[in-house]
Amino acid sequence: MSTSTTTRRPDDEGRGGERRSGSALGFWAGAGTVFQLESRQRMRSRGWYVMLAVWFVVTALVAGLAAWTAGSEEGFGQVMFELVIGFVLFFGLLVAPALSANTITGDRAGGTLAILQNTLLTPGQILCGKWLAAWVSSLAFLLVSVPMIIWAMTYGDVYLPAVPVLVLLTAVELGIACAIGVGISARSARPLFAIVASYLVVALLGLGTVIIYGLSFQLVKGTAMASEQIWPDDPWDDVQYNDQGEAVDAHGEVIEDQEAYFAEIEEKAVMNYDGQDFTCGKSLSRITVYHTERNTWLLAANPFVVVADAAPVKPRAAADDYYGEGPMEAVSSIVRQSQRGAAAMDPCLDGVKQPVVDETDLAGTAPLWPLGLGVQVVLAAGLLESGRRRLRTPVKKLARGSRLA
Amino acid sequence: MGIQETQYDGGAPARTPEAGTGVVAIGLARSFGTVRAVEAMDFTARPGEVTALIGPNGSGKTTLLLMLSSLLAPDSGSISICGINPVDDPRAARARLGWMPDTLGVWEELTVHEILAMMGRLYGASKADAAARAHELLKLVKLDEFASRPARVLSRGQQQKLSLARALVNDPQVLLLDEPASGLDPGARIELRTLLRELAGRGRTVVVSSHVLAELDEMADRAVFVAAGRTVSEQRVDDAGTRGRRYAIEALDREALTDALEHAGIEFTLPAGTRRAAAVVLLGSEAEAAALLRQLVAAGVAVVAFAPAAGILEESYLRAVTTSSDPSTRPTPAEEPRP
Repeated sequence: MSTSTTTRRPDDEGRGGERRSGSALGFWAGAGTVFQLESRQRMRSRGWYVMLAVWFVVTALVAGLAAWTAGSEEGFGQVMFELVIGFVLFFGLLVAPALSANTITGDRAGGTLAILQNTLLTPGQILCGKWLAAWVSSLAFLLVSVPMIIWAMTYGDVYLPAVPVLVLLTAVELGIACAIGVGISARSARPLFAIVASYLVVALLGLGTVIIYGLSFQLVKGTAMASEQIWPDDPWDDVQYNDQGEAVDAHGEVIEDQEAYFAEIEEKAVMNYDGQDFTCGKSLSRITVYHTERNTWLLAANPFVVVADAAPVKPRAAADDYYGEGPMEAVSSIVRQSQRGAAAMDPCLDGVKQPVVDETDLAGTAPLWPLGLGVQVVLAAGLLESGRRRLRTPVKKLARGSRLA
Repeated sequence: MGIQETQYDGGAPARTPEAGTGVVAIGLARSFGTVRAVEAMDFTARPGEVTALIGPNGSGKTTLLLMLSSLLAPDSGSISICGINPVDDPRAARARLGWMPDTLGVWEELTVHEILAMMGRLYGASKADAAARAHELLKLVKLDEFASRPARVLSRGQQQKLSLARALVNDPQVLLLDEPASGLDPGARIELRTLLRELAGRGRTVVVSSHVLAELDEMADRAVFVAAGRTVSEQRVDDAGTRGRRYAIEALDREALTDALEHAGIEFTLPAGTRRAAAVVLLGSEAEAAALLRQLVAAGVAVVAFAPAAGILEESYLRAVTTSSDPSTRPTPAEEPRP
């Protein structure tokens, strides 16, 4: 038996990163090794491939059913594409906490965390490596869904500028869910607690925001005085009728060819139609309005809102052309409508004419997703930081019921 | 008992290694909530020696090792690992430390070689260096045939060897081993002993905690005894022979033996429940033992066995543990020592 021959010189390695106290493990070298440890473990477990296969089958079923329902209808590609994205986001949010919340509590229970902590790794490197490993794993689910996205794109009407944005933001949302899971995992002593807590926080974003938004309607309830809309130069208003219900001319004579006359009026009406060209009547009546412009921000941190709201929307030919609107675009337009608030609820409030806006026209509403993404990043970063404090050694205060090794 | 031993109640250790080498811990205390795992421990381990850490279950051995390994901060007291305070600069201490925990943690899906190579990289080694070092260590602990097998197929003893190899990955100056021999077969125990002696011979500081005292007799240069969260005594294993030791004497005729002992004026006990005619006596030194044996033979007692009743460390251990658990000899802070 002979012992080692290699002597380690502390400053041989390590570019960049922390160089405190002569130790020689660069930040990315350390985080990268943790990443490798995690990924290799995962890549070699059978369960992982079973999960990916199940995922592939389920997304293929969803896309296939959608395609079958729509037949070969034109303009369906966008709907199918957004459906796949929404689905990947929904199930990704279910998978990400499971992938990430056990990474550190599992190591704690298995006795490997203390071994990592006893090397030159800093808590930040451990967290970073584990987070990246969980994120990359969750991106594998997005990757497996790519065939369905391509399938949707073969319909030819997918609005291309929206594709990279939707895919990228979905990936970012999965990263945030993983960060939440890893942060909570570092904080908790028991694997089960970490997984449940991570699910609850992700559910708070996905479902909780919608519930809170719904409940807050009571707080933004108000009344407004509405009046009727008057369309002054509607040619139909000038048409006069006799007692028999026949149209008459200015002299009270019955017009001979009623049908031709009505057709003429109708043509004039359509030609002159202008949605903005009305005035508000003088008689007011009290109506209930909801000032959703005050509570829409509650929806901001919802992952679906963030992804949908960030995507550019296909320009429409006409204001009321909803054809081919996918689920993500629908989410976005609901949110924008809600942002406009009470003013958009009635065209005549307090006898004052409100500007009529087309639902898909985003002008005049501020994008909500930067706020939402910001809230999510702050939440995830806060959890990671509090987890990092928990991983610091030598441990001063040991959490109840947890042990080091 | 009439035997001199260093008794500790929080004072400085009798002999400390040169500044900047080995392990020195003074006045350590650590509680977990209301449980006071370590109350007052001093611990010294010198380079070039194997120091045994001995104590009953729950005496605070593992807590002490966690503090020495820079994972746990003491509530009070100071630690020096090669002159570095692990609380102030844990990374510098870890570069010089190898720690083998009492729990076995392995990355089950990774191969044995991968685990060691990854660990090497976590100490800043390059990919090639870490891989070479991993091979070297696997040979050293005789796990090379398992290099490409996943860690989950290893037996407990093999995992123990892997854990030892892992602790050696950064070629540490200070090696802290918590129960390294548990789960090892007799052959592997002998290998472990040889390896640790060799490391000590190369100037490393080796600390071993164990329950298997007979094994430490052969391996350790010094022993530190702990009980109920306190260091109760510290001694060199070579010196242990000069301290009180119990000998078991067997003779063909029991009465002849007891008569001769009474005649010699030596106190003895006759352990109940043994088939043989044996007496146990407490003797101050090996010279005394030799004299007694000569006397017995001269008196015509047919002696068939005359040997230490237990291993050196077992002897010291029993003495240390019984002394510390006897409330009258444990100083309590509220009480002034009796004049």
